[in-house]
Amino acid sequence: MNLRQDLRHGGRIGRAEFVRSVRGYTCDTRRILGLAVALLFFGGNLLFLLPPIYVLGRSVRSVSTIPYFGPAATLLPVGLFLLGALRTMERLGSVDTEDLLLTTVHPRAVVVGLITAEIGRLLLWFGIPLVAIAGAFAVGLGSPVFLVTAGIVVVPIVCCMAVWGYAVGIWVLRILRRLPTVRRVLKVGGILALISIVILSQVAARYLVTGNVSIETLLSLISLTPLVDYLALGFVGTPISATITPTAVVILVTWIALTPVGLAVAERQATALWFTDDPVRNVTTDTLSETTGSSGGFSPPQPFSWTKAGRIAWGHLLRAVRHPQEFSHLLMLVFLVGPMAGTFFQSSSGERFPVLVAGTGVLFGVYLSGATFGLNPLGDARPQFPLVLLTETTPRTFLRGRVVAGLAIGLPFTILVPLASIAAGSRPLYGITFATVGTGFSLIAALFALGLGCAYPIYEERELWGAETVAPSTLVLISYSFVVMGGTIIGLGITWFGLTGNLIVTGILVGGLSVYLLPTVGLPILSYWYSQRRYRRYVLD
Amino acid sequence: MPSTTGSVAIEAIELTKRYGSETALDGISLSIPTGTVYGFLGPNGAGKTTTMRLLTGLSTPTSGEARISGTPVDDRRALVPHVGYLPETPPLYEEFSAREQLEYVADLRNIPPETARSRIGSYLERFELADDAGKRINSYSKGMEQKTAFIQSVLHDPDVLFLDEPTSGLDPRAARTIRQSITEFADAGTTVFLSTHILPVVKEVADTVGVLFEGRLVAEGTPDEVKERAETGAGSTLEDAFLAVTSDVDVVAEATAEGDG
Repeated sequence: MNLRQDLRHGGRIGRAEFVRSVRGYTCDTRRILGLAVALLFFGGNLLFLLPPIYVLGRSVRSVSTIPYFGPAATLLPVGLFLLGALRTMERLGSVDTEDLLLTTVHPRAVVVGLITAEIGRLLLWFGIPLVAIAGAFAVGLGSPVFLVTAGIVVVPIVCCMAVWGYAVGIWVLRILRRLPTVRRVLKVGGILALISIVILSQVAARYLVTGNVSIETLLSLISLTPLVDYLALGFVGTPISATITPTAVVILVTWIALTPVGLAVAERQATALWFTDDPVRNVTTDTLSETTGSSGGFSPPQPFSWTKAGRIAWGHLLRAVRHPQEFSHLLMLVFLVGPMAGTFFQSSSGERFPVLVAGTGVLFGVYLSGATFGLNPLGDARPQFPLVLLTETTPRTFLRGRVVAGLAIGLPFTILVPLASIAAGSRPLYGITFATVGTGFSLIAALFALGLGCAYPIYEERELWGAETVAPSTLVLISYSFVVMGGTIIGLGITWFGLTGNLIVTGILVGGLSVYLLPTVGLPILSYWYSQRRYRRYVLD
Repeated sequence: MPSTTGSVAIEAIELTKRYGSETALDGISLSIPTGTVYGFLGPNGAGKTTTMRLLTGLSTPTSGEARISGTPVDDRRALVPHVGYLPETPPLYEEFSAREQLEYVADLRNIPPETARSRIGSYLERFELADDAGKRINSYSKGMEQKTAFIQSVLHDPDVLFLDEPTSGLDPRAARTIRQSITEFADAGTTVFLSTHILPVVKEVADTVGVLFEGRLVAEGTPDEVKERAETGAGSTLEDAFLAVTSDVDVVAEATAEGDG
């Protein structure tokens, strides 16, 4: 009786959470447009993918001849389990209105609700393309029943891995709560690991292309026969159906049996997490904590203290260091620079290596100069606008404060990395020129970011690593990255050709340089002017 | 010190604010003398915060105009020295300590460092925050946050102080400190525009009361006058009057018209 009631409550909670998510995805025009763009992009790709899948369905003669079927059968449950665990650690460890739900229903119902909603979200994002792919394959196979049998085979895996992923995710959260130092280290370590994975993936891909190791050999190592036999059950009733092995049946029974066990474990873990307190009081609520204290007042060091813009910049830097989640949007840089860096450093010869290091440092510094504080000036300051807009300080000073703060982060990379490249063997002229050119680009990027950020402010806070933060629009971030990195790379290329004496002054060159320099200098000036105007006229409507 | 040269501190003429087809504020007119504590009452969604944002220049009216100490509210640069604003959600940087926050704001307000340090020290003592001034605001209780935000709104000695629910959620001691400060500022010549739901606070500190209902000012006068006009009978309270005027607008409008007549 209790179980049935909890499942009913869980279903209701799951439905409510799912509906909240869907309403969140479609709550304003900006998000709907974003979804439409994603749909166009991925939908287009899917349409191109379906004909080959159909042909594959027609040509395949046995399950074992389906490309990558073995590794996929193994990676599917592993991937689902990891996804469940990571999503739980990131978001599903608690629920909004936790106080209400936990004083209204049994924790088991909340667990069921959260997992149900997550499966719903998974189906919403991946269900339609997967059904389309499976449908195209089934039509090619001449056996539409495959859609049903494949679904029946996949559902137990999804349910089992979802509950176990949730249970393990909650368990990790409990461990981390007891070990706050490890939690902090993991946050930093996680980012470093992400950067490493992106770069190493490029190295690995290159090694696979140029080396003697084939990807088939590697993937064959991760094929587990019992899981392959189980997934082959999805082809029962189709022309390529294989014999049902006892192992496959055992695996099916295992999935089904492990699901309620996982649910019980998840419930126990969640109950322990939700109904117990931290062993030490959280620093955000610890009024007696000395670690959160600041001995003095607001006293920026030189040179920040010289001007008001500098003092405002110091305020930004101080708050960012104390609340590093503000930098979360910079992770985009990892995905942009990571692949390039891997390729660059692998393909570069010994002579060019220091120059590439210098160029990468400049690129990194220029990007950070604008992206760190400039891409959402109206959005991330909105809670304080009733204060800052009613002070004697002008919008120009506030904006310059952001420029200075951005430069304080970016310029060390822009200047020091090229200078350090001299020690690594680069010519001093190259290092100094790159640093000088980079400084100019940093200022340009910082000014450009302000206008772009003011044109499309984002106000919604979202929780990241346990703290509410306001990140710039992805559209703004992508536009900024594209323009600034593209422009900087072209500029550095021109500089390099100039330094090596490969630039011959011709009419075409002068024309080309004019075409390049006009927007490079003009756009940031216009952008800065526009940001001042937006800031000055800003109202809290 | 607040200027006391002008007789009218807050002046609004037919202020109207529309969001699409919805009218948030419907032709509000105010004339509040210098040194007055003006209790601004109204049920949730009546338009109180909208009015305060319009009067502080943080929002623009659809029509109408407003002046603070003779300065048009759309002239933000000229307006800012005259006003202090404490919104319902304190605009604080959680990553700062109270002292850092206040020194930072003092700098933005062009208050000389020595003056700022002295004022901040004095306010921190007065609001019993001196011992915790070095701790970050994210470790503060709601009362401590509110007191810090209150200090930053008065740090520059504004002529007009706009307070949006300044005592909401505070314990009795913190609430009393804020109430006493409001009275002291008014005695020193500051005009206080106080929006709150806590009627005893209004009764205790307000010289004049304005009641906003569905975007219109449905009653205005001293607390006693409002009670009289609401015709809630002898021995009635301000709460009775508030409930009366925010439940039957036509009656109150008539009563107000008669009173004015």
